[in-house]
Amino acid sequence: MANAETDARAQKRPLSPHLTIFRPWLTMAMSMAHRITGAGLYLGMALLALYLLGAGMGGWLHALTGWLASGFIGGMIVFLITWAIFHHLLGGIRHALWDRGLYMDKEGRELLAKASLFGGIGLTLLLWILKAIAG
Amino acid sequence: MSIPTHFNSGRSGQGAAYVSDHEGSEHARFMRLSSYALAPLGVLSAWWLAGLVGETLEGAKAEIGRPFPAIVLICFAIIGMIHARQGMTEIIEDYVHDAALKEKALHWNRIGSIAIAAAWTFGIMLIAAPK
Repeated sequence: MANAETDARAQKRPLSPHLTIFRPWLTMAMSMAHRITGAGLYLGMALLALYLLGAGMGGWLHALTGWLASGFIGGMIVFLITWAIFHHLLGGIRHALWDRGLYMDKEGRELLAKASLFGGIGLTLLLWILKAIAG
Repeated sequence: MSIPTHFNSGRSGQGAAYVSDHEGSEHARFMRLSSYALAPLGVLSAWWLAGLVGETLEGAKAEIGRPFPAIVLICFAIIGMIHARQGMTEIIEDYVHDAALKEKALHWNRIGSIAIAAAWTFGIMLIAAPK
C-alpha cells in the first residue's frame, strides 16, 4: 500500500514530457501540426466523400454539395484541406530527410520546421493564386 | 511483406529484414512507401479540389468527371485512406489507454476509413460514368 510520504514525493517529481520547459517549441509545434493535419485530413476526406457522393447521386445529399461548393464556410473548408495536404506533405518530406540522417543538427531541424510552416502556407497561396489565374 | 536478407535475428528466422515480432517496423515502412505515391497524387488532387469551390454543380461534375482527374482522385482517396487509417491507428494507440475503448476505436477506424474511400470512389464513378 502506498503511504502518504511516497505519494507526496511522487507528486513533486516532474511529469514527462516536460511540456512547459521545452525550448525548441517550433519543431515541437510542427510535429504536433503534422499529426493534427493528418487527423484533419481524415475528417476532410469524409466531408469531401459526402460531397462527391452527393454530386454523383443527387437526392438529399445535393444540399450538402451545394453548401460546400458555393458557401463561404464550404470554401474555407476546402482551402484548409488544401493547406493541410501541403503542410502534411512537407512534414512527410521532413521525416524522409531525417530518415536519411540529414538536417538533424540544431540549425537543420529549425530550418526544416520553418520550411514546413512557411512552405505549407506558401504552396497553398500559390495553388489558389494559380487557380484564380487559370480559371 | 519481407525483404530477403541474410540477417537472422534469432526471432523471426533467416530472410526477414523487418525483424520485429510486432507491427511497428512494417507500419513505419508502409507509411513511407505510400507517401511516395501520395506526394504527387496529393498535389494534383489539391489542384482539382480547389477547382470545386465556386463552381456550379454541373461545372464541378464536368471538371472532375474527366478521366485523368477522376482516376487521380480515386487513387488519392484509396491510398490516402489506407495511409490515414494507419496514422489514426497510431493516434488511437497513443492516446486511448482503456483497452475496450481502444478496441472499439480501432474497429470504427477500420470501418470508417473503408467507408470514406468507398463513398468517394463511388461518387466519382457516378460523376464520370458516360451518360
